[in-house]
Amino acid sequence: MKNRSRKLSEKFEFGLFTLPVLICVAVAFYIPFVLTVRYSLTKWNGISKNPEFIGLDNFKQIFTGDANFSAASWFTVKYAILYIILVNVIAIVLAVILDSKLKSKSFLRAAFFIPYILSLVIVGFIWKFIFMQGFESLGNSTGWAFFGKSWLGEPGLAFISVLFVSIWQSVGFYLVIYIAGLQSIPDDMKEAAVMDGAGPFRRFFSITLPLLAPSITISVFMALTNSIKVFDVILSLTGGGPGGTTYSVAYDIYRDTFQNNLYGYGTAKALVLFVAVLIITVIQLTIFKRREVES
Amino acid sequence: MRSNPVARVIGEIVLILIALLFLYPLFLMIINSFKSFQEVMTDVIALPKSWSFANYEYVWKYIDYPRLFLNNFVVTVLGLAGIILVSSIAAYKLSRTKSRASAIIYFLCIMPMLIPFQSIMLTVMKTASFLHLSDSTWGLGLLYWGFGAPLAVFIYHGFVKGIPREIDESATIDGASGFRLFFSVIFPLLKSVTTTIIIIDVMWIWNDFLLPLLMVNGSPSTKTLTLAAYTFVGQYTSDWQYAMTAMVLAVLPSIIVFIFLQKYIVKGVVAGAVKG
Repeated sequence: MKNRSRKLSEKFEFGLFTLPVLICVAVAFYIPFVLTVRYSLTKWNGISKNPEFIGLDNFKQIFTGDANFSAASWFTVKYAILYIILVNVIAIVLAVILDSKLKSKSFLRAAFFIPYILSLVIVGFIWKFIFMQGFESLGNSTGWAFFGKSWLGEPGLAFISVLFVSIWQSVGFYLVIYIAGLQSIPDDMKEAAVMDGAGPFRRFFSITLPLLAPSITISVFMALTNSIKVFDVILSLTGGGPGGTTYSVAYDIYRDTFQNNLYGYGTAKALVLFVAVLIITVIQLTIFKRREVES
Repeated sequence: MRSNPVARVIGEIVLILIALLFLYPLFLMIINSFKSFQEVMTDVIALPKSWSFANYEYVWKYIDYPRLFLNNFVVTVLGLAGIILVSSIAAYKLSRTKSRASAIIYFLCIMPMLIPFQSIMLTVMKTASFLHLSDSTWGLGLLYWGFGAPLAVFIYHGFVKGIPREIDESATIDGASGFRLFFSVIFPLLKSVTTTIIIIDVMWIWNDFLLPLLMVNGSPSTKTLTLAAYTFVGQYTSDWQYAMTAMVLAVLPSIIVFIFLQKYIVKGVVAGAVKG
């Protein structure tokens, strides 16, 4: 009897501790997710009372006859690949330089980190100002043709601008991860390599880089999850322009849902994004696991 | 390294110059917030002729800066307090209980990390308005509890594993149980991870844009700082001097906090990334 009441009170306490988080997560994710699946099978403009059930028509439309979506997907893939490579290469190079004995080390680290604490929407606006107004003045005072180009007005250049501003904002984040990774490499290992007569490049490729592998895995993972969802910076920097060439998948979903009021169609696209992210993450996690086992 | 000292000094100066160039856009933002419209149009890179606060007076009043600041503060503090409370108690219990139910609940808690916000944004809006959480700063703060919980539960769960069970047991013998045991004995031991969670979540909630855009954009009295800066620039597309002033006002709190708490912020961000 006593045992049973103890069991009961333990169960009660378990519920008391875990129910709040379950409610919160359900409200934020599970209920909306179920509704997303439901709406994705309907045609709905948000105004009419009852969404009209149309089965998988939305998905057929997305994969067969939606030029916006394929353009946005292509943009996102290109952006993600270049972002992941560039931000990590730049961050590793900077980290290796900053890890040496410099007097101004903490100033330099802080300087590169500062943009990361700013909101991406704001960063987009600041750079819009620089590209539109600042470059004109810089062009006038230097005479360089570089500044005279239309960095937000030509499709190819606008892509570069979006990529560049994203890297500018976040490189400090990857930098501090790599600095932490470098600091965990034992000094005697580096010294031993110096003794063996390895030059700086040899040392970097045969000692530093392999030992940075855990940091690289984390950073690539973060860069991938962030870049596949890119939205804020494009919204304020280019607004999708010029000519709709800088729409990302996330922005395309936003456009269809909130600007074109295609609620059903927009949620179907949103679901496609979810599945894409899920597949990529699962692949990454398996690679992750395998690496951990090996090392 | 045995390179010669002159080369090293030159190298370091070059690095400092690169860092300053890196921050040049922020410098341009600041100097142009002090200029008049004419000055911005004629020359962006020149220093302002006089350091006038006229733009600041105008924008401060127009966007009702104290109000926005208060809104941001309420949302961030309320969101953060909830995330820490619900996640820490749940993670503790889940980590201590070895049962099927516990494993399933833990999975349900961390699984949403895989759901991109844009995939559910419309239906989050619907759910929130059904629960009367829309168009209110409090409602927005409450919503963050769910959005922040997965990562926080994940981080706490891993950390609690490392706390020996004997501590719980000896506290039980002393007569503490339930919430009292947790808050007086366990929670203080979680201090280091709590700091990590505070840092990453403050940076996220304070700067967040899309959720506030969908939830509290209806009225000027409920807007957050980033959101107000966004709408303000939308209205003043060519008045860059006002736009830059709004930008400075929006980023200033973050920069001031960063200057004072730099070490902790960098440490917290690294710890959060490594654990997450």
